[in-house]
Order: sequence, then C-alpha cells, then structure tokens
Amino acid sequence: MKNALKWTLRVGLPVIVLLFLALLYFIPPFMIAPPETFSGPNLAQGPALDDIKDPAVRMIAERGKYIVVRTDCNGCHTSIGDKGPKWDEYLAGGGKAFYNQDSLESYCRNLTPDYATGLARRNDEEVLRVLQTGLLPEGRQTNWRRMPWPFMANWTPEDRYAVLMYLRHLKPVKHSIPDAKPGRVRTDAEATEEIYGGDYAGH
Amino acid sequence: MIFPPHRPFARFFLLAALAGFPVIAAVGKSKPADPLLGKTVYAARCAQCHGAGGKGDGPPSSILNARPRDFTSGTFEFRSTESGSIPTDNDLFNSVKNGLHGSAMPDWGHFVSDDTLRSVVEFIKTFSPRFRNEKPKSVHVGAPVPASPASIAAGRRAFERLQCGKCHGNDGEGTDAIATDLKDDGGNAITATTLTEPWTFRGGSNARDVYLRFRTGLDGTPMPSYKGAATEADMWNLANYIVSIGRKPVWKMNETELKELYSKLDRQHLENPLAWGKYLVETMGCGYCHTPMREDGSLMEDLRYAGGQRWRLVPFGDFVSYNLTSDKATGLGGWTDDELKKLLTTGIRRDGSRMYPFPMPWIAYAGLKSDDMNALVAYLRSLPAIYNKIPEPQTANFFAYMWGKFRMLILKDDLPFYAYPGNAGTEQGKPTTSIDGMRPHQPEGRRP
Repeated sequence: MKNALKWTLRVGLPVIVLLFLALLYFIPPFMIAPPETFSGPNLAQGPALDDIKDPAVRMIAERGKYIVVRTDCNGCHTSIGDKGPKWDEYLAGGGKAFYNQDSLESYCRNLTPDYATGLARRNDEEVLRVLQTGLLPEGRQTNWRRMPWPFMANWTPEDRYAVLMYLRHLKPVKHSIPDAKPGRVRTDAEATEEIYGGDYAGH
Repeated sequence: MIFPPHRPFARFFLLAALAGFPVIAAVGKSKPADPLLGKTVYAARCAQCHGAGGKGDGPPSSILNARPRDFTSGTFEFRSTESGSIPTDNDLFNSVKNGLHGSAMPDWGHFVSDDTLRSVVEFIKTFSPRFRNEKPKSVHVGAPVPASPASIAAGRRAFERLQCGKCHGNDGEGTDAIATDLKDDGGNAITATTLTEPWTFRGGSNARDVYLRFRTGLDGTPMPSYKGAATEADMWNLANYIVSIGRKPVWKMNETELKELYSKLDRQHLENPLAWGKYLVETMGCGYCHTPMREDGSLMEDLRYAGGQRWRLVPFGDFVSYNLTSDKATGLGGWTDDELKKLLTTGIRRDGSRMYPFPMPWIAYAGLKSDDMNALVAYLRSLPAIYNKIPEPQTANFFAYMWGKFRMLILKDDLPFYAYPGNAGTEQGKPTTSIDGMRPHQPEGRRP
C-alpha cells in the first residue's frame, strides 16, 4: 500500500509538472489569436452612427470613425483582458499604463462621453487642444512617446473636429481612470534585472 | 518672536516682498520680467518642442509638419516689423499667448498669466544675439481698405500679377502650383498655406493679419515681403481677396456642402495618391516606431522610416521595426505591393508567419479603404532608399519565456514593454553591432 502510493507520487508528480509546463508553453496567450478574430471585431466596434439625427453631423462623425480606426486609438485606449481587447469598454481608457520621464505613471483616459469619468465634462476646445498640442485641460503637457500627439497635430483641423464628433457619439461607459500618479523612474540596470534577471534574449 | 522657528523662510519671503514692493508700485500694473521665472517656465513648458537650447530641436520636433521655431536664428515668421527685422516684444507675446492656429503651438494665455508670459518672452530673446544688438523696425499700418467687390476684384488682379499661384495654386488650394518642394532656411520641407482654409492661417485670419503677412513677409521661408512690389492699397485688396475666398469649415457646413466637399477630397486623393499617402503616413504615426530613437526620445532624422527601433515585449521577445524605405536589400524595395498589403491587412509576413497584433497595429490597418491602402503603399515606395539591415525577431530564451508566461497567465502580472534608444539595425559602412549591448533606460509601459 505504502509502496503503491510512493510510486504513484514518483511517476504522477513529474507527469503533472510536465503537463503543466507543456500547457504553459503551448497555451496561446490572447495575442496569437487568428487574424480574423482580431481585425473583425476591431472594425465592427463603435456606435451605430445611423442614429444621429443631423445628417451633417453624421457624415462628419463617420469620417471621424474612419480616422479613429486607422490611427488605432483603441490600441491604447481600450483595456485588454485575457481574451483580447474588452470590446464592451471600447475606447473607455485604461488600456495601458505608461511610465513617464517626468516620474509619473499615467493611464490612458476614458474617451467615451460619460460625464463623471469620460470626455463629456470637457468642452470641444479642451479636447481639440489635446489632439493638436498635447496639452491636457489641467495644463500638463503629455509626453509624446506615450500619447503621440505630434502625429495628431499633423491632422488637418477638420480631421481633428471629425474625430471629436465621433468621440462625442460613442456609447458612454462609466470607467474611472486613475489620475497620473508619481512613480519612480527605474535605472537601466534595475529595469533589466527586475524583469529578466540578466540576459533575456539568449539564443 | 515674529518668525516662528518652524517657518525658517518666512523672514526671507517677507523681506523679498517688501523689497519688491517699490518696484511693483513704480511700474504699475505689469510686473517687470523675471529672468529666473522665464527660464523655469521655458524649461517646463517650451523646451519639450523648442529644445533646451532654443534650437527648435525638442524630441517631437522632427515629426511636426510645422516645425517649432529655432530661437537662436533670431528670425520669426509672424511679426509686425519690416522684412529682416527682429519682431517686437508684443509680436512674440501675442504668438505665445494666442498660439499659432492650426499648429502645435498652444494658446498659453489659457494657462499662464500675462506677466509670466512676458518673462518667458524676455528669456526667449536671450537665445539670439540679434535682440541685444538690433532694434525692431515696426511697419506703419495705414488705414485699411474696406472689403468691397471692387477691392476684392483688384485683389484678384494683384494675386495674378504677383504670381501667388506659383506656390499657392491659382485657386489658392495649391492644385496647379509649380513650386511644390519648398524649404525653409533650416532646410526643412514646408508647404504653402492653403488659402481657402483661413482657420489654418497661423498668423491669424482677419484682413489686418493677412495684410501684415504680405507687408512683412514670413522671414525664414520663401514667402517674401511685398513692400515695393505692391502698393499699400494693393496689399489691402489682396488681403480682402484672400479673406473672401475662404471656404466654410466643416463645422459650419450642411449636408449637401459636406457631400460636395468630401467627394471633392476623395477625388483629390485619387488624383494625387502620393500626397495623400504622405498625409496618411504622417498622421498614422508610422515614424513613431519605424525610426530609431535617441536617449531623450527624439528621432534620428537621417534614418527616418529606416526602422531599427527595438521593442521588447515580455514574454514574447524582441522585435525590431522594419525598414520602410525602398532599399532593395534591406527595405521594402524587394517586396511586391501584394505582399505589403497582405502584411498590413492580415498580419501575415512574406514567409507566411504571423505577427502579433501589437506593437504593429495591423488590425487597425485592416480597416483602410483599398484606395487609401494603395496611396499609402505608393508613398512608402517613394521613400528614398536607406540601407539599414534589420535583425530577425528574437524570441526569449526558454526559461524567460516560461517565467513570463507564468506571470502573465497564472499570476496575472503586469508585463512591461520597452522601446530601446539607438539603432538596432546595421547601417551601410558601419560594423555590425550586437543588439544585446543595448539597454532600455526605463520601461515604456505595461499592460494592466
């Protein structure tokens, strides 16, 4: 009896460990999903713009939607779960946290027109100013490596306005984004050691 | 004791305030410019684009179509002074306070007090010796010619006589412009203003602003001063004409006008795919990754679109952005259009392997309309060839990969991604450098 248990453990434990390792190795993380499962939903997102009553606004918003999709705003502004982007929180912020050179840790903001947490409390001028100059309503300049506003500064003002109109007609999502908080800038050595424990890209 | 010991600086502040009082009282409303304040505010707010040394070379400057001003040159575009003269303090102050419309220069007056802005202007003037040695020669602005059909018609004649259409196009939209490869004094490519879109006039769009641009010229650019070439009245007529051809912006248009505008734009994009492709590439941010970055986050301009920026995605490995220039050996020169389009829309490489949807966002480009995709590819094909050999993606070693995946799937940990400064590719004539020698200065961010 004792012997049988011993042997079960001797054979079973390594098998379980090996199975676990194999599972870990082969299980596809969300990123290796086939293309159609990814690009399909990405393009299908966004509100039904047909509901907009004013035809002029609808045309502008459709233009804006195309710009938002091709510029990949949701690459950062939609949070990502285990199964890929959380589509029910489309453009609701929090997708990525960024470490800034000015020792701040900041989060992508909620772009949906929710009053408490989103862009509804910002007027047009404030939103357009962020797109054009990277200057947030509180007067802080965003780091261009995080929010790449210089590319949006190259948009024509009419394109920026189209994007604004589209954002104004998104489905409001209540998603509170923490304010930028002071973080610590790590040194080269710390950053590398902390994650990889030395040489990472071994071949 | 008047000054409690736990406030050791109270005495200093009170004395400083007392010392400052007579000065404030003497000057009246506006405080004298404070050089230290100007310097501090410049470093905090202006240096990101204009550079710490005022050379207009801050990290994002090379991306912006309207480049930040180089203060060391002492030449400024938007002035009320004679061509070649330095601007007045008020000119600089107005540009800083109200911003330059349509460009990345914000209206700082919204955030910063006038007194502080005057201090900043004083500091900006220290970058060029011209402000110490010269005095601004203000132009005399006479009585304006009121806008009337006669004045506008005279303005149109002046427009033709002065050959404004050479750069701006005969319709003011640059359609039939002859001079299309304009450069400013710094050698940067610039485009002539579209005269039918007054909301993009950086110096302002009313008749007086436009008149001043003719009268003073835009120093440092090919736009000359028309003093002498045109009479005072002609310049006012011209200004009235320019104001009159301004079209409605989209935010004031109705449905039919919008339909007309958008079909016109789509037609223009089809007729001139290179210009449209350039706009797409410059606004979709291809250069963000496909240009190597320096330690301070600025891009290496001579390797523009030549790839070589190295990204590390934990736990997947290291990826180096590809060379987008038309170089045969190392860039897109050897690719067919179909291969390129397949990669951009489905994320499948030439060899059939699949790309991750991050950091190269091909899932977004899958949404590009086919005409736009053609324009984009056409523009990429036209990029001058730069030899920059890009190494293959490197997967992490087994243990790092397993550890990373364990953290990601079981511990639900935040896994960071890094962008490395420096060029990971191999430029022509340079010895092969090991990319293992590169070190990130800090993580770029993480996936929460």
